[in-house]
Amino acid sequence: MQPPDKLLFTPVQRVRVWYFLLLSICAVFIVRLFYLQVIKHDYYRSAALTSQLKQYEIPAERGIIEVQNGKETVPIVLNEMRYTLFADPKIIKDPTRAAQLIHDAIGGDVDDYEEKMKLDTRYSVLAKKLTKQQNENISKLEIPGVLTADAPQRTYPQGTLAAQLLGFVDDEGRGKYGLEQALNDQLKGRNGQLKAITDARGVPLAANNENVLKEPEHGEKIILTIDLGMQQQLEDILKDGVEHAQSQSGGAIIMDVRTGEIKAMANYPTYSPAEFFKVDGKDIGVFENKVVSAPLEVGSIMKPLTTAAALDQGAVNRNSSFFDKGYFKIDGATITNVEESGGSGQRTLNDILQQSLNTGATWLLMQMGGGEINEQARTAWHDYMVNHYRLGRSTGIEQGYEGAGTIPDPNEGYGLNIQFANSAFGQGMTATPLQMVAAIGSVVNGGTYYRPHLVEKIITADGREIIKKPEVLRSEVVSSEVGKQLKEIMEYTFGKNYRAYGGMPKLRDEFSVGGKTGTAEIPNPEGGYYTDRYNGMFMGFVGGNEVEYAIVVRVDAPKIAGYAGTKAAGPIFVSIVNTLIDNFGVTPKK
Amino acid sequence: MGRQRFAARNQNSTSFRTTEKTLGPVSNTIMLIVLACLLGLLYLTQVTKTNALGYQISEMEAEHTSLKTEHDELQVASARLQALERVKNSDIAKQLVSVAPSGTINQ
Repeated sequence: MQPPDKLLFTPVQRVRVWYFLLLSICAVFIVRLFYLQVIKHDYYRSAALTSQLKQYEIPAERGIIEVQNGKETVPIVLNEMRYTLFADPKIIKDPTRAAQLIHDAIGGDVDDYEEKMKLDTRYSVLAKKLTKQQNENISKLEIPGVLTADAPQRTYPQGTLAAQLLGFVDDEGRGKYGLEQALNDQLKGRNGQLKAITDARGVPLAANNENVLKEPEHGEKIILTIDLGMQQQLEDILKDGVEHAQSQSGGAIIMDVRTGEIKAMANYPTYSPAEFFKVDGKDIGVFENKVVSAPLEVGSIMKPLTTAAALDQGAVNRNSSFFDKGYFKIDGATITNVEESGGSGQRTLNDILQQSLNTGATWLLMQMGGGEINEQARTAWHDYMVNHYRLGRSTGIEQGYEGAGTIPDPNEGYGLNIQFANSAFGQGMTATPLQMVAAIGSVVNGGTYYRPHLVEKIITADGREIIKKPEVLRSEVVSSEVGKQLKEIMEYTFGKNYRAYGGMPKLRDEFSVGGKTGTAEIPNPEGGYYTDRYNGMFMGFVGGNEVEYAIVVRVDAPKIAGYAGTKAAGPIFVSIVNTLIDNFGVTPKK
Repeated sequence: MGRQRFAARNQNSTSFRTTEKTLGPVSNTIMLIVLACLLGLLYLTQVTKTNALGYQISEMEAEHTSLKTEHDELQVASARLQALERVKNSDIAKQLVSVAPSGTINQ
């Protein structure tokens, strides 16, 4: 057997050659992969992520608002899905036909749609706040370049009820005015975020450990102290009363003096918060909760507070009286009473409030200064106004744009004595009805100033309940004895004068009702005061053995004949009292 | 190894076979590749399955959102139907007779 020809390579060498070739090819791959995956890592990663990684914002739901309705709560502000209709004019081929189709589907102005679809832009809003049905109608049209986007919005099942108190939410989701503004951060929550690798349709792929999901923190649910029925009744009474008094506007508050809870708070005229955008630019004042935001010279409803301060200081006692000449001269200025006050004579504390004596309030201030209005009197009265009754500072109620009012400084300025004499009967100083209701409430409840508040409970997104307890801002505003005495004087005042207000032919003996009118001068921007218009005010309370509710009514510049406090605000107060007794279970005296 | 060496020398020789069977490097490589493929297949199966579940989750989330929207709509409708103004203006309310407050009726 002949040995075979000698091969060029031995088998071992051939294997080695193949190994070498294989390794070379592998090396080429490895080098190329190294280049692509390591050196060009960032480039390719970002290129891939650009098309695959989607980032979504998950909007937080705005918290809803509820009010009391007997033993349960009912929603007064909810969220509802609405839709914005928009178009990309560059894609729409036949705007005239598209506009007609849209009009047939959802109504509206055909010409307006057409005009908007001819704009030189890629995004043109055709309509806002479409309903679900309208959205479905649009979707069925399948017009290229016409799309809808969902946008949650606030809805108000009770219509205009408590509009100024609630405020509204603008198109950018910001709370404006009222509660929506004051509690915007709590109500709006925090948006969540989803970062995920998605498929071509944008659906996140679950098998990716780089997906990031941050759940949204939904807004808190707010339960108010407002009583639904009481609020409705108050608004009805206020509207009737303001119209009857031939006034343009007014407001009223009912506060539970035992806790500081605001049970009802109304302004007239009002508006629909769901359609805030329909309010004319010159009428935006209607958005304001004026009983909270607009301080005014309160007039004679200040006298009960002056009386309580003088009693509490011991400057006078329950049996004190003075001889009223009908006027006082203070630093060259003369303080007089209204014509019907009965001229000169000996006057008691009851007379001061019942006859609404400006001289009486001035005399009380003089007693605080040892017989004259001086620095001691000014300082003492200032202390009561600012530190006891907390006038001149915000109450901290959950409302946007709360007004603080102004109280004159006891030591700085001109004509201080006459200025302070005026402040003793509610002129030359300003306060909001809210401040006044809180102040009188703190006197007649025995001397505890509770922060007036609207929020009873907050329910967080995770279901935690935060109950807002009544917050005592000051105890011993006046002594409980002085509180009783003032309550008695105000009952006397109301008892003597209630017939003048109408609406309550017989005094309801089983209930304690007290009150004081105020017919306040209105400052003229050109100097001095108007001589032909006054604001009508009323401040009072109702209860049984103990006072339950304090009430303040404001009627702006009524045209009805008679004193504004008596003829415009008085009847509203009486109606509120009747309603509280008849419908809201004021406990009668035992 | 031993056999090849003797073959290279082109000599008749006694065949020495080890009784112990071991895998050669090629077999090892092939097995490793097969194992890697199996593992890759397993991984892909799981990824696909997970993504399929992801689609299910996505659909359920969409359904949840839809139900939530429907719930919200019903809540709004319910609240509107119970609104005081609507109740006040209802046919039943219009048939009610007004009664003066007990405490203010007599002079």
